[in-house]
Order: sequence, then structure tokens, then C-alpha cells
Amino acid sequence: MSVTVEELEAITDAKVVDARGTACPGPLLEAKKGMAGVPMGSTIEIWSTDPATKNDISAWSGKVGHDFLGVLEADGYDRVFVIRRK
Amino acid sequence: MAGPEKLVFMVTHGPAEPELATIPFVMAAAALASDVAVVMGFQGSGVELVTAGIAETVAAPEFPPLAKLLADVRELGGSLLVCSPCLKSRGTTPTDLVEGAEVVAAARFIAEITSATNALTY
Repeated sequence: MSVTVEELEAITDAKVVDARGTACPGPLLEAKKGMAGVPMGSTIEIWSTDPATKNDISAWSGKVGHDFLGVLEADGYDRVFVIRRK
Repeated sequence: MAGPEKLVFMVTHGPAEPELATIPFVMAAAALASDVAVVMGFQGSGVELVTAGIAETVAAPEFPPLAKLLADVRELGGSLLVCSPCLKSRGTTPTDLVEGAEVVAAARFIAEITSATNALTY
């Protein structure tokens, strides 16, 4: 599942998980914790300064069954969007 | 029908090799976050990593500190199995280990490895 940049930019109700400054596997572990705190079908937005995170979260989402939406580049970090599906 | 996925990480490097000591914990934490069961087996110098107070002294560049990763693995439910003779040869006793570490012998490692989806040695 992937959406357009415009659709990602229109998401305003995602729970932000700020993992900036953490090294692998920090962003992944923060994403897992963040996911546990939102209802099924909700979107979380992981902030990461590690350029590998977007691929890592994409692979993790596919593995565990969440929907990876895509990535927006911010000022010095990535915003990675995932919908909780399990 | 296949059972739940499980990975075994055999850890054979200690504090003298911080990168090789750290990477299996990174992999184990990522596996647990991916709903894969994890058993970490410590042999040789690897047993030093689960001796209380040692993880706090290990940090590899660009990785989280080992103490943080060890805490993550324990919090996420990973098992820590420690080679009995490796421990004895270093003058370490089970009471010297971090909480939750279990001292085992070869047959337990074999049982864990043969029942796992895969086993990786570091």
C-alpha cells in the first residue's frame, strides 16, 4: 500500500513517534511501542534521522501485517507513515 | 503446519569485540519487534555480556549501548541461555548473571536450535 505525497501531507491526526537521534534498532522499537498505544486502523508517524529507517519500517510493516503508507522528507529527518492493522 | 517463528542467536564474542557483541542484540530486538520469538545463546567470551554490570561497559560506534539493547531484549521477552562450562571456566557463578539469564548445557542449545526457524552465530 502506498499513497501520494499529497495524501501523506493531508494526514493530520497521526500519532507522532519521535525517534530522532536513535540508532538502529531504536526507531523500530519506538514504532512498535507507539503502535501499541493507538487503536486498530490508526496511523502513526515515525520521525527518524536514520536514513535506513524508511526501508526498515517498510519491511517491518510487511512482516507483521501493518500498512506502510510512505515517507515525507522533513528538515533533517524522515516522517514515516504506517497504519496499524493488527 | 509450521509453528511460530523462532530465531536463535548464538553469541560468542565478548566485551573485547563490541561490534560483534552488539549486533546480535540488535538483530534479536528487531526480531522480537517483528513478533518472532528469540533465544539468545551465550558461549565462550559471549557469556561475559550477561554477567551483571558488564553490558554497561560495552558500546560500539553507531549502535545503541549494549545495556539498552539488553534491556530491550529482556523487556520484549527474549530468552537468555548461558553455557555452563563457559561460565565456570571464567569463575562466574549463576548469581553473577543478569536477571532472567538461565544457565544451560549443550542439549538445551541443541533443542532450541533444532526447533528454530533459523540459528545465527556471531
